[in-house]
Amino acid sequence: FSAEDEINLLVIVVDVNPIWWGQQAQREPELTLSKCLDAVMVLGNSHMAMTRTNKLAVIASHCQDSHFLYPNKNWRGGDNGGEDASSSGDGKYELLSVANNLIAEEIRNVMTKKVEGRQTFLLSSLIMLSNWHGVSYRYLLMLPFLFSVGQEIKSRILVVKAAEDCARQYMNFMNVIFAAQKQNILIDACVLDSDSGLLQQACDITGGLYLKIPQKIALAQYLLWVFLPDSEQRSQLVLPPPAHVDYRAACFCHRNLIEIGYVCSVCLSIFCNFSPICTTCETAFKIQLPQMVKPKKKKLKQST
Amino acid sequence: MYLFSMASLSEEVLLVVKKVRQRKQDGTLYLMAERIAWGPEGKDRFTVSHLYADIRCQKISPDGKAKIQLQLILHTGESTTFHFSNESSALKDRDAAKELLQQLLPKFKKKANKELEEKNRMLQEDPVLFQLYKDLVVSQVISADEFWANRLGDMNNSDPTPYNNKQDVGISGAFLADIRPQTDGCNGLRYNLTADIIESIFRTYPAVKQKYGENVPHNLTEKEFWTRFFQSHYFHRDRINTGTQDIFSECAKQDEKGLKSMVVQGVKNPLVDLLSLEDKTLDEGYGVSTTTPSTSNANRTVKESSNAAIIKRFNHHSAMVLAAGSRKGQAAQMGTRGILTSSSLLLNPFFSLAIEYEDLQRENRLKTVALNLKKSDRYAHGPVPLQSQHYTTSQDIINSVNHIRHEMVNYKPNLTQVLSSTAASSAITALSPGGVLMMTGTQQAINQMIPTEVQGELKHLYAAAGELLRHFWSCFPVNSPFLEEKVMKMKTNLERFQMTKLCPFQEKIQRQYLSTNLTGHLEEMLQTAYSKFHVWQTRRMLRKT
Repeated sequence: FSAEDEINLLVIVVDVNPIWWGQQAQREPELTLSKCLDAVMVLGNSHMAMTRTNKLAVIASHCQDSHFLYPNKNWRGGDNGGEDASSSGDGKYELLSVANNLIAEEIRNVMTKKVEGRQTFLLSSLIMLSNWHGVSYRYLLMLPFLFSVGQEIKSRILVVKAAEDCARQYMNFMNVIFAAQKQNILIDACVLDSDSGLLQQACDITGGLYLKIPQKIALAQYLLWVFLPDSEQRSQLVLPPPAHVDYRAACFCHRNLIEIGYVCSVCLSIFCNFSPICTTCETAFKIQLPQMVKPKKKKLKQST
Repeated sequence: MYLFSMASLSEEVLLVVKKVRQRKQDGTLYLMAERIAWGPEGKDRFTVSHLYADIRCQKISPDGKAKIQLQLILHTGESTTFHFSNESSALKDRDAAKELLQQLLPKFKKKANKELEEKNRMLQEDPVLFQLYKDLVVSQVISADEFWANRLGDMNNSDPTPYNNKQDVGISGAFLADIRPQTDGCNGLRYNLTADIIESIFRTYPAVKQKYGENVPHNLTEKEFWTRFFQSHYFHRDRINTGTQDIFSECAKQDEKGLKSMVVQGVKNPLVDLLSLEDKTLDEGYGVSTTTPSTSNANRTVKESSNAAIIKRFNHHSAMVLAAGSRKGQAAQMGTRGILTSSSLLLNPFFSLAIEYEDLQRENRLKTVALNLKKSDRYAHGPVPLQSQHYTTSQDIINSVNHIRHEMVNYKPNLTQVLSSTAASSAITALSPGGVLMMTGTQQAINQMIPTEVQGELKHLYAAAGELLRHFWSCFPVNSPFLEEKVMKMKTNLERFQMTKLCPFQEKIQRQYLSTNLTGHLEEMLQTAYSKFHVWQTRRMLRKT
């Protein structure tokens, strides 16, 4: 069983939140969504060029849903690639040019289609990172059946994140993280703007790398340097050390991160202050208070 | 050693050995009723004197050696050596002294203090406790009594340890077979009888014991008795009863009677049905012949009867062995001869285990209380704090979306212009060792920077400090004079600990490892204790005035 038979799958999930990218284009025009996609494409091409058996998948994560950019329904795969691909004329490996064209075409479709009104115009900018995790995970689960029996697939997910976290998907997210951990799927994260606690946890638990890049215009360099090597190769390289992850829990009453708190023994909800009744399950608790010392009564001398 | 005038000896002298040297001095050794003593030649006092109770053991020099010596080792660890230098009788003298000591020492042996033994055992078994003991008691931070105060508490209340209970030794079923006669060269057999085998025979066959009691030592010597025993047909396989000359023929008759009564009694265990066991024949060669064996002796062939006799003997022997084993302790509980009586069955837990199957019985579910969650969405939210939302107007949103759409409608990948070389090189710098992104690594290695011995010492300090602080804090609230005393003592103990253990350690690490603050937490704990003590003390003063 040589390393050549092993299939390494890289799934790149790109956050294409239009609101963030639109604002970003006005803030810092050096890195636009186009440039970001170019960098992602470079990484994808490099990955496929490393070994013949490497596979790639690219998913765009939009506001409320995600789309497979590659492979997509237009991809016929295999030998038909040559006919469909408009040749790039630069002698590029055909698989790469096919992939690039497909990605470009699909992202154009995704970004230009009319977005549903009620979904997009939220007053807050906390647009969630949609169902990217669900989609990619389901994809990964299907993989063993897509390829021939007996081939091992090692997969990892790279998330390129732009906008902030949304807390609403927390439970799903954690389930996906643990499922990935069980399946030995690494989750890496390349964060462009604000740190994401959830992704930090995902990387810590699955053994991946979390990196918040200081210079957005050098995105391609960071991607190639840090995220191109797979997990075996990473052990031979000197890469940024894992960051300290804040695993503190948040209290149920105020959502403050606390280090020491009170936990209800019935429903396991966490509080920052003691209260005799748990507000989640309405269990009453008794705590022994220190005994009050009764003051001694002084005898009063009676005057005759 | 103390000086003792020989003239005022009131003890009986058991043995005197002349020409015994001690520390290169000639002298005389005296073994008395309660002590052993030695005095130099010509002097009339003892320079060496040890009570037998103080002597732990004696040692002698090996036989081949030129110097014939005897060494006494005391409980305290000290030792005294005597050199027997009489040319003719040195070995005899030494051996005589040794024999006498061997007899005398056990009488005076100090019953090892049970508590001391227990303490030693605890220290040996638990290295952490041992280290704590060394840190606190040996360096005199607290006294040994205080150290053991909480730990030996249960020892005096609990029952004596289980290994004091002796179990009865059972009887091996093969004890007779183990005797294994050996030929002694001239057509005879040698049987090796040990005390164990004799005891087994007596326990199993009380009839033999009875005979032994009757005949030895009046009629027969022990040797003769056993010789007759082995010669008699009683012992051998084929117990064909020969004449009544044999003293054991009565035993054979008794055994027959016993066996019959056992058969009649039967086994009253409802889980065992012995009567349904019988030889079943399938065909010729697969069992016994078709005719049922009759019990009358006349019809039996010789072979059949000898086989039956052997089988009967085996059964009898096994039954006697089992009976002897259960005779002692359990006769009262289980009925005669270890057979379960019907009344004892219901009480026997093993019986109920045998006839009941848990999963066939009706399920008895424990009454449970259902979990009643009022606000279960709290769990779904997870430990992500609500972040400050920066407000975006809807106009902004529309603008951004339009912008993006405009940008992407003509998107074409431009892969040759992805990265400028300056951007690339600055990224590489940041990612190289020493770069911006590589810095966090050094902060995590504190346990790699401090060597393991220092870490170990720190752990010991924590254990010792923890122990002292536990004693200190357990004194509060101080509501008895004993606790008052104890709390003051503990405070001085803590201060002493800080001075003798903590400060030298701090200085040591400061000399070697400059920046790390390993003892900050320990100091904080001690400081808290001191301030609590101070508060308590001032309050006490105020109360008194």
